[in-house]
Amino acid sequence: MSTSARSDIFSRLREVSRDASAEQIQRERQALGTAVAPAPPAPGLCLGFLTNVLKNRGSVDCASSRSEAVKAIGHHLYSHFRSHRLVAGNDPRLAAMPWRDAGVLPRFGSLEAGEPVALSFAQLGVVETGAILTWTGRANPAANNLLPEHHIVLVDTADLVATMEQAWERITIESEKNGRPRGINFIAGPSSTADIEGQLVYGAHGPRHWHVILLGNIPADALALARSSASV
Amino acid sequence: MEQHSDTFLENASAALKNSAQAERRDFIALFAPLIRTAAVEGFAEFDTLRAHVKRVRQHSLDHLEYYLGKFEHEAVHNGNHVHFARDGAEMNSIVLEICQQHSARRVAKGKSMVTEETGLNSFLQRAGLQVMETDLGEYIIQQAGETPSHIVAPALHKSAGEIRALFQSKHDLGARELPETVDLVSEARQVLREHFMKADVGIIGANALIAENGYSMLVTNEGNGDLCANLPRVLIVCTTIDRVLPLAQDATAMLRLLVRSATGQAQTCYTSFYSGPRRENDVDGPIETHFVLLDNKRSDILGGDYREMLECIRCGACLNHCPIYTSVGGHAYGWVYPGPMGSILTPLLTSLEQSNALPNACTSCGRCAEVCPADIPLPDLLRDLRHEETTKKLNAPRWRRGLKMHAWLARHPPLYQALTGMVIPVLNLFGRRRGSFKRLPLASGWTGQRDFPAPQKGTFMQLYKAKLKRQAAQEAKRNHEH
Amino acid sequence: MNEHAEQHVAPPRGIRVALFVTCLADLLRPSVAFASIKLLERAGCDVIVPLQQTCCGQPAYNNGNYEDTIPLAKQVIATLEGADYVVVPSGSCAGMITHHYPKLLEGQWRDRALQLAANTFELTVFLAEIVRIKAPGKAFPKLPAVTYHDGCAGLREMGIREQPRQLLRELCGIEVKELNHSDVCCGFGGTFCAKMPEISAKMVDDKLKNVMATGAGILAGGDLGCLLNIAGRARRHGEDIEVRHIAELLCQDLDTPAIGQGT
Repeated sequence: MSTSARSDIFSRLREVSRDASAEQIQRERQALGTAVAPAPPAPGLCLGFLTNVLKNRGSVDCASSRSEAVKAIGHHLYSHFRSHRLVAGNDPRLAAMPWRDAGVLPRFGSLEAGEPVALSFAQLGVVETGAILTWTGRANPAANNLLPEHHIVLVDTADLVATMEQAWERITIESEKNGRPRGINFIAGPSSTADIEGQLVYGAHGPRHWHVILLGNIPADALALARSSASV
Repeated sequence: MEQHSDTFLENASAALKNSAQAERRDFIALFAPLIRTAAVEGFAEFDTLRAHVKRVRQHSLDHLEYYLGKFEHEAVHNGNHVHFARDGAEMNSIVLEICQQHSARRVAKGKSMVTEETGLNSFLQRAGLQVMETDLGEYIIQQAGETPSHIVAPALHKSAGEIRALFQSKHDLGARELPETVDLVSEARQVLREHFMKADVGIIGANALIAENGYSMLVTNEGNGDLCANLPRVLIVCTTIDRVLPLAQDATAMLRLLVRSATGQAQTCYTSFYSGPRRENDVDGPIETHFVLLDNKRSDILGGDYREMLECIRCGACLNHCPIYTSVGGHAYGWVYPGPMGSILTPLLTSLEQSNALPNACTSCGRCAEVCPADIPLPDLLRDLRHEETTKKLNAPRWRRGLKMHAWLARHPPLYQALTGMVIPVLNLFGRRRGSFKRLPLASGWTGQRDFPAPQKGTFMQLYKAKLKRQAAQEAKRNHEH
Repeated sequence: MNEHAEQHVAPPRGIRVALFVTCLADLLRPSVAFASIKLLERAGCDVIVPLQQTCCGQPAYNNGNYEDTIPLAKQVIATLEGADYVVVPSGSCAGMITHHYPKLLEGQWRDRALQLAANTFELTVFLAEIVRIKAPGKAFPKLPAVTYHDGCAGLREMGIREQPRQLLRELCGIEVKELNHSDVCCGFGGTFCAKMPEISAKMVDDKLKNVMATGAGILAGGDLGCLLNIAGRARRHGEDIEVRHIAELLCQDLDTPAIGQGT
């Protein structure tokens, strides 16, 4: 049945599609060019990114080194959960963090029921939308993004890109190297819903809280500036 | 989905009398345009992008055979099974067959208007499957046995109180009262989390299909669609053949328009791209993935005069900005797609005969076209459908004949002016004291709801010609006196 | 700003303007057309009123009867095309001529429609941007507060928004008290209001609520269709508001009873 449905549909489409070779079609698409992207909310990738994360109702922190990052994670965990436990994917970058510096005890793997906090190391941060980007795999099981109450995400300043077009360029490099990831997830905020009377509520299915830690060489006043420009 | 578009006027009348729901609709009418405007104004080049994406969409549709073939090729390469369905019944049976092959019992479903169109849920349920909608709005209306009233926010017609009562009757709440909206959301989260964990099959829709790499795009705020796509062992993506875009960057360019127009965000919380089943080293994800690509008259529309309608990206902005939609709500339209986009799609996807009131539910005010991120000339398409109704004699004969007669009369100025010159002074005579008529023969459509303002003492043409005559007489008199 | 108007430089005096009266003004409110003539003459135009005119064809057109609209469109074009400019005291009829005639017609007729469209203006646009009418030089009349209804076709097809407000400011010394949600339709929609009266009533009630909330004594507008609808509903509900076409206000003609009001 489905074979004949296929040929049926394709023959109908052939009747109404414009006649052209694959090369012509690709040239035509190329001639249309690339879309415009919105201007960043603030100058500089770090400031722009932090501002948009805040606008997406994430909380943010900055760390200048891996040791600082671990301390920031430890501090965040302790202040919210009085705990040092979290789950992280089998990401070599996470395995190499100096966890002892902050006494944090990660379990590497997929989130299980009853575990409230997961940590991801983002592949990219997208300034345009204040989104972090992960792709599925051992380094970042989907459950760790989608199921915890609290999602902490590390983003390296070297992995910030201005636009979604640039994000695709990086994804294409990854796909050519290691094959197309099964899932690519742009995450821009805690899980939310406005389905009841238009009232915005966080934690619809996934994380109620979304905490992004930017790691690297970040201008000292970036955090304060981001807070003030996001609140405008 | 069962259709009730033929009783649009009765549906609308009932909706207008439901004052609680009318109040919630007034709120949407007030609130939704505000957040959209803020988002669009925050992006200075919105119109430039709109024009770019329109060109890309037109190009994709011009070469749909090529791009659909390319998508299929890449999707198969990524490890998917790709199925084609000519109509809703075919889509439903393909989905059921996949479920049965895996001896599935539970299905977790993300929001998909296409599966509303085909009536997939009830079809699967009749075959013994337990199908759970997981988008909060869809879950609420599924529990209530209702249909979506909005393509983006399907349960906006219900109050928190009604939802609380619904949960009280359907869930085992014990002593919990769920006083706040956040409690209602938590309750649904808990119930649905369990279902996600037990589901054998996940079914989601797609906001776009990408020809160059075989990915589908899914846009949500709740993350429910992603749970459907990642947790069950089988994933089925149900969408239509017109959703294909050439490049990955085209999907994200469209996203910039979609999200701002739909919810006033720059990006939804979750924007995900799925390519296929879990790979060798993956620790999670479905072991088998399917695309079911539905035509259901899209190829007809592609070859016809309403082709631009296929460029619709389902943002719901035309609903939120349509004063008729916000007056009567989505259910009045009697099928899956309401508002301006629905008044065009419904006749095209079902039949004009079954839905001939819908293209008339329009004042040509143009607000929908103004905000449409796909730049579809919705009022023109609606007028063209009314043209089709006139040609096929589907509209009320009394109106059709009346308008024909009026146009004929207007083409005969002397007769038109003689006739109106007789009627208007009479109306003036009877109406001038009060200034308006409470009732008037042949005008009950008007006077049922409002007075008919009385005309002045003659038609302009009468008064003007009389004035010209007076002037000519004076001139003649002056000349004579000279 | 009206792009269409920007391309025109101020015309020399003594230009010939054909007035397209519109059927609603012809039948129900001639005072609108007489006021339009007065204003145009005051602005230095020679006004002619072609006597063969009836209706622009919107009723049939909007109901999808294109076949009967086409000959009517041709008739209107032939009737009006001789003058330097065509002026229409209605945004929706002006929109019909400038935007929809060219869509309906083909070949030579389309060219003629486009030619006519280029010379056709809604009254307030013409007065404010083309002939730049001056204040009459006498004292402004004492008027109650005025609010303004933007007709949808005028607003979206013809870009009319600032022009009527500017004219009220300059000719009458009035600052318009703005309506909330002024960009939302009043529910008239031509035959819509008679075909779907209940829905239309809800829409006009919303509009009236916003009108009354301004506290204005006069509602002005540039489209008689909308004004008849709003005035009719106001009369039905006994709302105390004077509804007038802007041409009458600009002429300071307040002796004519307002729309729907008795003598």
